Amino acid sequence: MRYLLITLSAFFALLGIAFTILPMGTIALLPIVLSLILAFLAVKKSTDNQKKIPKLILYISALTLLVVIGKEVFIKDEVVVDQQFDQKKVESKENAKKELEELDDLE
Amino acid sequence: MKKLFLTLAILFTFGICFSQIHPNEKLVYAASYNMSGLMTHLAQVTLETETVKTSKKDYLHLSCEAATFSRWDTFFKIRDLYESYVNPITLKPSLYKRNVYEGGYFKTEKYIFKADGRTIISTSKKRTKPITKKTFKVGVSTQDVVSMVYKLRTVDFAKFKNGQTKSFVVVFDEKEFPVVIKFMGKEKVSAGNLGDKECFKIAIAAKTNVLRGKDKNIIWLTADAKKIPVLIRFSIPVGTGQLKLSNASGI
Repeated sequence: MRYLLITLSAFFALLGIAFTILPMGTIALLPIVLSLILAFLAVKKSTDNQKKIPKLILYISALTLLVVIGKEVFIKDEVVVDQQFDQKKVESKENAKKELEELDDLE
Repeated sequence: MKKLFLTLAILFTFGICFSQIHPNEKLVYAASYNMSGLMTHLAQVTLETETVKTSKKDYLHLSCEAATFSRWDTFFKIRDLYESYVNPITLKPSLYKRNVYEGGYFKTEKYIFKADGRTIISTSKKRTKPITKKTFKVGVSTQDVVSMVYKLRTVDFAKFKNGQTKSFVVVFDEKEFPVVIKFMGKEKVSAGNLGDKECFKIAIAAKTNVLRGKDKNIIWLTADAKKIPVLIRFSIPVGTGQLKLSNASGI
């Protein structure tokens, strides 16, 4: 049971790290919270000399949790200025105007 | 003068909606993907209106732009532009343009709506494929997908009863499909910089593979003359998402 808890908590901790690196937002909390719970249970099931690995997973998960919360609080969602896209919009409008002129002439 | 009165009379007789859509309106939304109540913010969607003048006519330029937030750009960059040039009064489209860039995939599409109102000349181009041209017939009341959003805002929902429906026909990917909207009452919804607003709750059902579920695709429009889309919730094959109004200007 202890090994299963450690394996699962390690798996969810890795998934949590991956989700934290990816811009998954609060969805990253799902594996992190699972990892925290499983790692905590693993610590409880372990004897004093067996607590090193589950404690390490617990600390990593807690750190990942802080990173996710920090990203959500401090990093603002913004769209970067994309000159190529802006240019595309201008060209599209210019072309549309010509096409509308042609369309008007056909009527 | 006689012609003008006749035209107005015909329009009123047949219940054709006059546009309440004004130029220089800008609506900014945050698009999010939901999973068990947890959310990831994906992109910014901007709806804009503008008057475009040709030597003979005025058109209303309706544009819908989607751009991923900077943190997503490295993983999956989206820069989509949907545009429609419509009659400012009837919102009947004359030109529709679609320019899609989604994670390396791109597609452009252009529909020219001929004056008979029933013929579309379509030009499209996908990533590596050559340009294709096609002419096809549509119904006289068929809208493109952008003008359909604005057309929805001309419906007088104040007169609707709960469960009452209305149908539209939309052309997308060179195919026509019916869209049925259902009035589901009123609800108070947070509307970005507009504060809390009482809204019309409208369910949208379309016979496409894109939208899933019954009454799961819902749009909330402010229950006033402007009918600003405040919140859009949709159910797609890979989950659920929403578009939430963050800023409205020029309304």
